[in-house]
Amino acid sequence: MNNALFGDDIIKILLVFLIGSAALVITQRSLTSLFSIYALQSAILAAIALVLFTREATLSLLFMALLTILSKVVIIPMFLRRLLAVMPIKRDLEFRYLTPISSIMLSAALFFVVYKAFTVFSASLAVGPLFLLGAVIGVSLALMGMLVIMSRRKVVTKIIGYLTMENGVLLFSLFIAEMPFIIEVLIVVDLLMIIVLSAVLAFGIDSSVEAFHKRLSQLGLESED
Amino acid sequence: MLNTVLYLVLNTVFVVAVSPLVMSLVKKVKAYCQGRIGPPLLQGYYNLFKLFKKEIIYSQNSSFIMRLAPYLNIGFLVAASVMVPIVFLPQISGIGNIILFLYLMVTAKFFMALAGLDAGSTFGGMGSSREMSLSAIIEPVTITSVAALAFVLKSTDIPQMFATTLHGSLTQYPTLILVAFSLFIVIIVETARVPVDNPETHLELTMIHEAMVLEQTGPKLALMELSHGIKQTILMALSINIILPLGLAADAGFIAIIVSIVSFTVKVLAFAVVVGVFESMMAKIRLFRLPSFFMLALFFSFATIVFELLA
Repeated sequence: MNNALFGDDIIKILLVFLIGSAALVITQRSLTSLFSIYALQSAILAAIALVLFTREATLSLLFMALLTILSKVVIIPMFLRRLLAVMPIKRDLEFRYLTPISSIMLSAALFFVVYKAFTVFSASLAVGPLFLLGAVIGVSLALMGMLVIMSRRKVVTKIIGYLTMENGVLLFSLFIAEMPFIIEVLIVVDLLMIIVLSAVLAFGIDSSVEAFHKRLSQLGLESED
Repeated sequence: MLNTVLYLVLNTVFVVAVSPLVMSLVKKVKAYCQGRIGPPLLQGYYNLFKLFKKEIIYSQNSSFIMRLAPYLNIGFLVAASVMVPIVFLPQISGIGNIILFLYLMVTAKFFMALAGLDAGSTFGGMGSSREMSLSAIIEPVTITSVAALAFVLKSTDIPQMFATTLHGSLTQYPTLILVAFSLFIVIIVETARVPVDNPETHLELTMIHEAMVLEQTGPKLALMELSHGIKQTILMALSINIILPLGLAADAGFIAIIVSIVSFTVKVLAFAVVVGVFESMMAKIRLFRLPSFFMLALFFSFATIVFELLA
C-alpha cells in the first residue's frame, strides 16, 4: 500500500514535468531544443508507463515503455536531427493566427475546460483521482499539440505538434482506456512512416525530380547509384 | 517576546550580511562562463564600503523624493525580509502575510521608479517607464504564482507555509515544482537578470534597473544596491524554503540556528550558481517579446491550480 502511494507521488511529479514540456513545445523557437524537448517528453511518458508497470505488473506496459524509449526517445529525434543538419533553417520564428503568448493562454483555458468536462464524466468513468488527472493531462497535451500544428508555419514544427498530440493520446490510453499492445506497435510504426513521409515531402516539395534524388541521398534515405 | 526579538534581529542581520555575497557570486559565475576570472567574491562588500565613504551629489532638478527614496526603498525591503524566516521559524503567528509581502516589494519598486523620474534625466525616466510597464505585466503573474502557492499549502502566512513544507516532503506536494518554475521566472524578472534586463551594461537601449539608479551617488547608491541584493536574497529564500527546506530550524536553539544559517548559505549560493549559469545561457529577449516569457510562469501557476483541484 505504501509502495503504491509512493508510485502515485512519482507519477504526479512526472505529470508536472509533462505539462512543463508541453508549454515549452508551444513557445520554443530553436528547432534543436524542440527536438530535445520532444525526446524528454517521450522519456517522461516511458517513465510513467514504467511506474504504472511496477504497480499493476501488466507486461504490455513494460513493452510499451521500451517501445516508446526506442522509437520516440532514440529513433525519431535522431532522424529529425539528421533532417535538421541538411536543412537551411535552424529556427522556427513564424507564427500564424496565434502568437506563443495567446497559445499559452489558450492552452491554460483548454486545460481548465478539459478538467471541467472530465469532472462531469468522472462519476461514470469510475476511476481514481490520479487516473482522472492523467486523462485530463493527456487530452490537454493532445489539444496543445493541435495548437502547435495550427499556429506554426514550418512543417518540421508541425511534425513536432503532431508527435505531441500522439504523446497525449498515449498518455490518455495509459490512464483510462487500455489499448491492446499490438495497436500500440501499429501506432508507432505508423508514426515512423508518417515522420519519414512528411519529412521527405517537406524537404523535397519545392524541387524537381533530379534535385529531389540528390536531396534524398543527403538525408541518407536513398543510396547513391 | 525574547524569541521574537531574537528572530527580528538575527533574520534581518543575516539577510543584509549575505546579500552582497550572493550578488558577487552570480557575477563570478557569469565571468567564469565567459572565460574571465571575474571580481573577487567579497567585491560586493568592498563596493558598498567604498560607496558609503563617498560624497552625495544631487541633480539640480531633483526634489526631496530623490533624497528620501533610497531610505524608503531599503526600509520596505528590510520589512519584507522580516516576513521570510531564514534563521528559524518564529513562534509568533501572523508575521508574514504573503500578500502584504508582495505589496511591500511593489512599494519599494514604486519609490525607485519615482526617484528615477525625479532627477529629470532622460535615462532615469526611460528606465522608470520601462520598469513600470514591465511590472504591469509581471504583477498579475506574480500574484497568480503566489495564489497557486497559497492554494497548494493552504495558507497565506509565509512562516506557516515553510512549516508545512518542512514537515512534509516534496512528494506530498508535487505541484510545488511547477510553482518553483514560476517563482524562478519571477525572480529573474524582479532582480533584473538577463533575458529581461542586463545588470552589467549601461546601454540606453537595454537598461531598466540600472537606468533608475543612475542618478544616485555615494551612500544613497550603496543603499540602492544593497536593497537590490536584499530583494534577490528574500525572493530566493522564498523559493528555496518551499522546495528544499531541509536544515531550516523549527525553533530557536543555538545549534539549530547555526545549522540553519550554514545550510541556507550553501543553498542560496547554489541557487546563485544556477542563476548565473542560466543568465549565461540566455540571450536578452526583445522588450516586446518579454510577455511570452512571463506567460510561461502564468501557465505554470494556472496548471498548478488545476492540478491541485484534481489531485
